[in-house]
Amino acid sequence: MNSGFTLVICEKPDAARRLSDALSGGAPRTELVDGTTVFRFNRKGEEFVVCAAQGHVYGVSDPSDERTVYPVFDVEWYSSDLVDEDNAGAAKRISAVRKLAAGASKFVNACDFDVEGETIGYNLLRYACGGKEKEAFRAVFSTLTEEDLVKAFDDLKPASGDGLARAGRARHAIDFVWGVNLSRALSQSALGSGHRYRTVSMGRVQGPTLGFLVEREQEIREFVPVPYWKVSGIFERDGKKFSAQYVKDRIETKIYAEKIREDCVGKESVVDEARKSTVQVGPPVPFNIGDLQKEAYRAFGYAPSRTLQIAERLYLAALISYPRTGSQRLPPSINYRGILQGLAKVREYSSHAAELLDTKSKPVQGAKSDAAHPAIHPTGERPRRPLDASESAIFDLVARRFLAAFGPSARRELAEVTLAVGEHEFRLSGGRTVFPGWMKYYGRYAGYMDVELPSVAEGDTLRVVDVSVESKFDQKPPRYSQSSLLERMEREGIGTKATRADIIATLVGRGYVSGESMEVTDLGLSVVETMARYAPSIIGTGLTRQIEERLEAVEGGGEAEAELLRGTVRSIAGQLRELGANEEVVGREIDSALTATVAKSFVLGKCPVCKRGDLRIVRSRTTKKRFVGCSNYSGGCRASAPLPQKGTIRSTPKPCERCSWPVVYVGGGRRPWRLCVNPRCPGKGNP
Amino acid sequence: MKCPLCGREAVTDLCRYHAESKEKVQAAYPLWVAAYGRIEWSLYLDNVKRNPQTGQWAKEIAEFLKG
Repeated sequence: MNSGFTLVICEKPDAARRLSDALSGGAPRTELVDGTTVFRFNRKGEEFVVCAAQGHVYGVSDPSDERTVYPVFDVEWYSSDLVDEDNAGAAKRISAVRKLAAGASKFVNACDFDVEGETIGYNLLRYACGGKEKEAFRAVFSTLTEEDLVKAFDDLKPASGDGLARAGRARHAIDFVWGVNLSRALSQSALGSGHRYRTVSMGRVQGPTLGFLVEREQEIREFVPVPYWKVSGIFERDGKKFSAQYVKDRIETKIYAEKIREDCVGKESVVDEARKSTVQVGPPVPFNIGDLQKEAYRAFGYAPSRTLQIAERLYLAALISYPRTGSQRLPPSINYRGILQGLAKVREYSSHAAELLDTKSKPVQGAKSDAAHPAIHPTGERPRRPLDASESAIFDLVARRFLAAFGPSARRELAEVTLAVGEHEFRLSGGRTVFPGWMKYYGRYAGYMDVELPSVAEGDTLRVVDVSVESKFDQKPPRYSQSSLLERMEREGIGTKATRADIIATLVGRGYVSGESMEVTDLGLSVVETMARYAPSIIGTGLTRQIEERLEAVEGGGEAEAELLRGTVRSIAGQLRELGANEEVVGREIDSALTATVAKSFVLGKCPVCKRGDLRIVRSRTTKKRFVGCSNYSGGCRASAPLPQKGTIRSTPKPCERCSWPVVYVGGGRRPWRLCVNPRCPGKGNP
Repeated sequence: MKCPLCGREAVTDLCRYHAESKEKVQAAYPLWVAAYGRIEWSLYLDNVKRNPQTGQWAKEIAEFLKG
């Protein structure tokens, strides 16, 4: 092996390839080292070898082999394949880096510039490269475009202090200590109560997040609606009809609502007040990851974790900047003109981008900043491969948001007319966009509607054509969506921009929440109830938020991570003692919730044949095959249906529109599919 | 003692969730009386039970109180 080359460590193979292409001018040689592809090339007389970690290749665990004992407060870093069986390739990648390091004279950490990337690079430099973490250089970039990568390597930074890496390593250690102890305590309690082993997990951010969901679930399930009435009228002037609302949104008694109708029908109304105003609506601020996840949920219904995955693919394709950013700001250093010129070559954006290039405007900036990366923006590069539908959707959203940030404020004309009918007042309100400004660039995502109003002046009259009284009930609070839950986590300051979406996915995966509706299961309720009783600070936000703040202090060099870890251990130890002392009661409660949750997961819906029983997934004792059967079998109902024998089966909230039998999701293949379980459904194949 | 409606540990005669739901069902009755001018307790419970906005535990309590 050659000596004296520069070893570059990237986070992902796609990034390593793109970086090598950019620095070599497109002709790197590929080699296999211990089964890992590495790239070799010369640049300005210097030999480079580029390799990729493919995520975390080191992870934390406790040094003992005993996997059921708690408390555990010793934490060591190990090759990830030893702590996570799904990461079997970690040992090979470490071995490749170790071999390459032996021949390297200079080291560059080119992992993503954030806490996780810094931790991945730091660990490899420290453990696989023989303690090179302090002398390694840092390549800092926010996009994988050739221009940015060349610039980053022409201006390599010295090792930037290890605050980010220390904070990252402290976060991993704290989350491990927290999760392993509480999860083992809960799982052991359930096991002790006779239930077969099942992981009942509880993480540092998972606890408070589940707490938010349970709090809302309780409000929903205890909700009692109160009746009220809503009054609206149809008014006519010059042959045109307009709908107006009674000034009071909510009429508390039926008798008064009906009196309003009697008092007004057939009468003339007089314009009491007619107001018009023009308001400026500023452009939306550039996307940080949370904003993008919320907007993608609003526009396309994508779960936050899905949006993050798509955005990462677009980043690795060099189409957008690094997505895990908290920033809502676009600094001039990203080269506005270059990006707009790039977008001007794409048909969908060409006219808008060309227009903005002429105006030389500057983008609006948001309040949040992130020292490591700017707000998410397109790079101006064209895709080198076809994008799938979801990638195209997210790219379009990012590109339009970027263009909109440069647009001028929009102007909306708002109008409000108050109509008096005797002692009663109705209100007509509407608005229209008189100057679209940024809305033109943001397109269908802008979401403002035009509602026309009559052109009237004070004293004009309109005839009351009709008055309707609508009986209403208070609405129960809405369940959190994945997007609104993410927003709440952000607001409460728990989790990080990189981890929040995964935590929500874990809550679904553990069976605490059902995926579709975010309805908390009996198990989720029971876990929070148990925690609230015996370990309340675990599900409160205070301790978790305090740790996040202290991790930020570690990042800035203001606190030692060892002290933070000791403090966390002290906080958890007391709560664990309480849980341990009440293991029997805790076990009984969790066991019965587990049983109820598992039983419910087999129920698909009401039986449309007997209308008494539930259709459930049943497994035949003789053939061992699963099928759908009615729980009212003993009562004479013989409703049954076959089921696919492969893949997971999940119920859906709505029955088939054609036949009222349950519809299920069948998972396990490339993508889940919906199936009406009725073999004789008239709309078979298309429920 | 177990809650007769769900089998959870009872705090009085009901579990914490159903006890709170019972208070809410009882507290809403005077509001329904004021809204409609008059409504019998039993008819109120029927309406609460049938209303799609009523929460699951409140529905179970309405059924329970109806006997």
